[in-house]
Amino acid sequence: MPIRKQATEIEADIPPGPSLGDSAPTAVDILPRRPGPAPRVLPSGMTEAEAIQRAQAGEAESFEALYNMHKRRVYSLCLRMMGNTAEAEDLTQEAFLQLYRKIGTFRSESAFSTWLHRLAVNVVLMHLRKKGLPEVSLQETLEPSEEDGPMRDIGTQDRTLAGSIDRVNLERSIEELPPGYRLIFLLHDVEGYEHNEIAGMMGCSIGNSKSQLHKARMKLRDLLRENRSGKAASKRA
Amino acid sequence: MKCAEFQRDLPLILDAGGNPEQEEHLRSCAVCHDLVADLRYIAEQAKLLVPMREPAPRVWNGIEERLKREGLVKPAQERHL
Repeated sequence: MPIRKQATEIEADIPPGPSLGDSAPTAVDILPRRPGPAPRVLPSGMTEAEAIQRAQAGEAESFEALYNMHKRRVYSLCLRMMGNTAEAEDLTQEAFLQLYRKIGTFRSESAFSTWLHRLAVNVVLMHLRKKGLPEVSLQETLEPSEEDGPMRDIGTQDRTLAGSIDRVNLERSIEELPPGYRLIFLLHDVEGYEHNEIAGMMGCSIGNSKSQLHKARMKLRDLLRENRSGKAASKRA
Repeated sequence: MKCAEFQRDLPLILDAGGNPEQEEHLRSCAVCHDLVADLRYIAEQAKLLVPMREPAPRVWNGIEERLKREGLVKPAQERHL
């Protein structure tokens, strides 16, 4: 059953776009991603299903329980996409407010996390659109540009990155990606969305999404190699 | 097959696998081999990133205030065990 769109402050300022005009995900058309095997129990002693039911009845305690369960994932998503704490906090707040306004229409317990996550992604994308930041250029093609070309001599020492990436330097290098590349990379490689989902969310072609992801990975490879070289040089100094 | 041709088709190769000619190039060319290994490694490592950061308490405080202002919540019920 489609979720009835409700006006929010963030939506009110956004002109209707080709991909995000009806931003609310529906509970039935999103498959669970990384589903857990057992019912989740919240610190308050409620199961997630119970908390959802109570939140649908407007019970304050269950809103907070759901927030505590999902806040890290939503906030991390916002922070990675925006790259700064203030905007990430604002968008986290907006995502949960939208959740609570729409929770009465939610029906599928197993898909709750996915539903919330998709909602948060849409909040971030709408914010980016409002700011006019580049998402994915429709003019991009699958032709590698000179900048992206890897046909250079990369030497024989430490030729590959294998074993050299840790969480900290990966997070740092992702932050250094241009916004459009960062967005595609986060949605596909970190958050696990498929190209057809990304194309739908961002209003671009599937081919364009694939092309941008490839360029993002190439750029990230360069950044990781640079960061590794910098680290090695500082160790030698 | 030249590196440029191989790398032009690389997104498709990574996505769906290469044809025999491309696979042969991958085995014989160290540059392209290392490139593919790195891109796969980056994608694998990205999947392992977990949400690490916790929002400041003011985020929930702001949500709670808005929920009350919008009349979306009512007081918690007594829980009977």
